[in-house]
Amino acid sequence: MNYFSRVIVDFVYFIHTADAYQHKKRLVYDILENSRYHYKKYFDIFMITLIFMSVAILIAEVKHEVPSEIKFFNSYVISIIFFIEYILRFWISSSVCEIIISKSEHDAMLGREFSLSRAIIKVIKAKLSFIFSFKAIIDLLAILPFFHELRLLRLFVLFRVFKLFRYATSFQIFASILYTKKFEFLILFMYASIVISVSSILIYVMEANNPASKVNTLFDAVYWSIVTIATVGYGDITPITTEGRVVAMGVIFAGISLIAFTTSIVVSALTEKLDDIREIKTIEDIRKLKGFYLICGYENVAQEVAKKLKDGVANIIVLDEDVHRLAQAKKDGLVALNYDPGDVQSYKIIGIDLNTQVKAVLCLRESDVENVYTTLTVRSISKSVNIVSLLMDDSNRNKLTFAGVNEILYPKGLVGMISKELIGRPVAFEVIHALRNDYYGVNVEEILVDDRMSQKIIYVNELNNAKFRIILLGIYKKDKKRFFFNPIDGTALETGDYLLIIGKSIFIKEFEKYLHKKIKHEK
Amino acid sequence: MKNKVALIFGYNDYALEIAKNISDKYSEIYIYSLHSEQDILKNKSNFEIRSLDLSDNWEGINENFDFENSIAFCVLENSAENVFLTISLRSLFHHLHIIALSNNKETANKLQMAGANKVIPLVQTTAEMIAEMMEKPIVKEVFHKILFESGELKITQVKINANNEYIGRGIAELDWNHKYGVIPLSMVHEDMKSEFIYSSKIKHHIIQEGDMFVIVGYETCIGDFEKLIGSRYDVNWCNWSR
Repeated sequence: MNYFSRVIVDFVYFIHTADAYQHKKRLVYDILENSRYHYKKYFDIFMITLIFMSVAILIAEVKHEVPSEIKFFNSYVISIIFFIEYILRFWISSSVCEIIISKSEHDAMLGREFSLSRAIIKVIKAKLSFIFSFKAIIDLLAILPFFHELRLLRLFVLFRVFKLFRYATSFQIFASILYTKKFEFLILFMYASIVISVSSILIYVMEANNPASKVNTLFDAVYWSIVTIATVGYGDITPITTEGRVVAMGVIFAGISLIAFTTSIVVSALTEKLDDIREIKTIEDIRKLKGFYLICGYENVAQEVAKKLKDGVANIIVLDEDVHRLAQAKKDGLVALNYDPGDVQSYKIIGIDLNTQVKAVLCLRESDVENVYTTLTVRSISKSVNIVSLLMDDSNRNKLTFAGVNEILYPKGLVGMISKELIGRPVAFEVIHALRNDYYGVNVEEILVDDRMSQKIIYVNELNNAKFRIILLGIYKKDKKRFFFNPIDGTALETGDYLLIIGKSIFIKEFEKYLHKKIKHEK
Repeated sequence: MKNKVALIFGYNDYALEIAKNISDKYSEIYIYSLHSEQDILKNKSNFEIRSLDLSDNWEGINENFDFENSIAFCVLENSAENVFLTISLRSLFHHLHIIALSNNKETANKLQMAGANKVIPLVQTTAEMIAEMMEKPIVKEVFHKILFESGELKITQVKINANNEYIGRGIAELDWNHKYGVIPLSMVHEDMKSEFIYSSKIKHHIIQEGDMFVIVGYETCIGDFEKLIGSRYDVNWCNWSR
């Protein structure tokens, strides 16, 4: 490697490992391209506003005199903002450093002399592929109104409207749907081209020599042909000879079939992609959700758990790779996605942040093998998320624990314990069971004592629970992890305590309201 | 002399868990299997495995068992066989207490129709526990301790004896939590149906001799309370239905 190349490669390595540079590039990428980045939407809204302002000014200019400040804003300020955006997109479109480093390492690995010129050619190719991309061309054309003095270039303001493609996801989805039918559209285009060419020539031959006909040039013939095939028929040019009218009839039939064909292609593309569109929308919605339960596997227990949690107005997302179970989840009114919960890629695609968005991951497959696998997958992404799992065979308990499950539920053990209670204390068991399940409208609830409540209600006797026909079963001190049953009147309430209360659901609600009202009132 | 026994029908993990949990209450526990020859060979538990077929030949169990105080658990894995077994047992042994396990609501209804005294809906119960773990973790922890763990906090039912000072007083006047450290949760009617202590139905009820209450408290407080106010009354669960 010659001295110059070495200096360049060293410099590139320096830039590539510079945190400040990479951080800035990452930030620009997030703002411009990363749809999961929280602040991107504000940037998009800003750009969309500029586009609409620009178009509004263009329309106003047609019949009205627009103040020079607004003209200046439209021609220079907006254009310069778009230009800066173009340059930034050009910057982040590919990494010059990465290309040069990769080329240098590749050459070194093969024992070849590093060729800086080849590396530069690769960089140029990468940048040119951006420049000639459809979106970049639109971006560039949208900057052209900067040359406002050239009247024709003012119309390039309309290219700014095309920039909306960048900022509105639904446009991009629609374009991608149509793109899937590109072969059909190509056939359609060829068919239309043939019909237009043949009919234009025919009408020109039939009508051009007739002085009464308005078809004087080949351009007139092509114009008439396109207007007719599109079934628009302005009527400004009409065939007057019998032969010309025969051609017109043929073009009309061709036009009808063309419209029908186009409509059917668009409709079939939309129908085929409807599920995908829904899924994209669902994923977008999920990314905005906070504090939901992620159910992995929708079998019998999962169905019941979802029903119970849904009654408590909890948000639930179901992941299952089985289409039948997924269909059942959707039928049950849940948000369900066809992804394998045991695959890390699933979480990357959906874009769920397990640490901040998910209350708990419920591994509810009726197979320990699947639950262990899912647990390990989830744990490899998040160390802190709460994982609850079903255990089908007690001999696998330690495997689930080792995989990182926080809480295990073993139904067979539960049956054993229930049996013991049923033969020992049946009435007591039933009473507790009834309380837990809100039979007869009587419920047991836990109320968190927050900062404000603990400042205003110092002691237990100030709760006035008896007035609301509420039983205070006890106080759970979370910091001490201890339950104080039937606390005496003088027991002090502290922030973070939980009151365990029993009563009619309606009275519990009233009691909760009272606790908060009391605080407000005394303030 | 007839024996009080526990009969478990079906050899599987459920049967073994049940047997393990009730072994302190029943000295004689027999597990009946439809495939006894194989199950006897693989049995590693201390419980005796006997043969069962679903015909009407019950000579094997119709020996010296006190059916009125015995209990049967129907935990066959096949729902149809479990229902058939339950109806067979009920038709032959009218006083036998039958607890059956069901996997879904439909089977639970059929088991009840077949004569089971109590049905444990496996899926629903498991789901309830998981949902409670998630939404009310403290309630779950406290109730789990009260019900399933041998802590100091207990739940039991007491009966008001004659000459009790509360006879003739209203429910609202019960001050047991302050006086005796126990909290009454519900009152149990003669038909074994319980009524929440603050429900409007029993709001004006005047306490009488024989009234039964479900109370929660520490073991020592409950002991003291029983001496003063009544007696611990163990309800025969077979009469219980919610």
